[in-house]
Amino acid sequence: MKGLSLLLAIAFFVLAVLYWIGTLQIATHDPGPHHKHAVVFAGLGILCLIWFRFQSAAPSRVR
Amino acid sequence: MTFAQAMLLAILQGFSELFPISSLGHTVLIPALLHWNIDLASPSFLAFVVVLHLGTALALLAFYWREWRGIVVAFLESIVRGRFSGSTDEKTAWLLVVGTVPVGLLGLFFEHQVRSLFASPIPVAIFLAINGLVMFAGEWLRGKDGGQRPLVSLSYFGAAKVGLAEALALLPGISRSGTAIVAGLLMNLSEAEAARFSFLLGTPVILAAGVLEVPRLFDSTAHVELVQAILGGILSAVTAYISLAFLTRYFRSNDLRPFGWYCVAAGTICFVLFFSGMVKA
Repeated sequence: MKGLSLLLAIAFFVLAVLYWIGTLQIATHDPGPHHKHAVVFAGLGILCLIWFRFQSAAPSRVR
Repeated sequence: MTFAQAMLLAILQGFSELFPISSLGHTVLIPALLHWNIDLASPSFLAFVVVLHLGTALALLAFYWREWRGIVVAFLESIVRGRFSGSTDEKTAWLLVVGTVPVGLLGLFFEHQVRSLFASPIPVAIFLAINGLVMFAGEWLRGKDGGQRPLVSLSYFGAAKVGLAEALALLPGISRSGTAIVAGLLMNLSEAEAARFSFLLGTPVILAAGVLEVPRLFDSTAHVELVQAILGGILSAVTAYISLAFLTRYFRSNDLRPFGWYCVAAGTICFVLFFSGMVKA
């Protein structure tokens, strides 16, 4: 799952960049850069990094 | 758009964004009923709407300021820690994150298509009446005793369902807060807790809708009247704050049915007026 979260994070950041520079036009209604799409995908990327962080953190010690 | 029209729209936005009666629906219906010659798709109107949304979002932040402060701190602490502590604020924070993702994604991909298809008076009137029926259905399905669970007892899957229900408000005439409250009631939350979750969940959505559209304000074709926009934003914020103060008290001991009656009646009357041609759609 750690690998998946990191892979998804990278994929979302790549999508964000592609929307930002206007290369990606999927589910858009006009040509050109789509900053709103980019921000949302960057947000998803950050959430995946947080997911990665939760899996990487050391578990609390049982006393 | 005249100054008086702008101020009336600002009051309408602040009031109807949080009441479960669809702000977008009213923004389509009222100008059509009053024969206002406003192009709802023009850059200047859309820029004005951005300011109104920012005003409403500020009112939500101000009203729940202490709660938001606790939620944000608990959220950041859980990330730093890398695990859940089980605190109330932390659970609320993650419920809000999970609930916001579906509405954000669906809004991003379908908002333009849905609104260009349905943002005219006749479909809006139909959806407004359906919105009323949804509220009746919510109250009926939860039964007489209803749920009394607190928000923190909601599962993450339940929060995602509330977020999905909220996305129905992409249809103009369906209320964002209304569908979220109904979904919360169906998850056995009390009315007050369902309403609180709806308002908290609405804050990032409305704020993002405003902030991400800020570039419209600087669009060279927008010609925003600065004084009108600032006053509109302030009026929208004040009205939204008053609405919040009223609704949080109201839902402690009352239910959604009065809003259901209003939506069914207003939707039906508007449908008859526009469909019969008595008022030009």
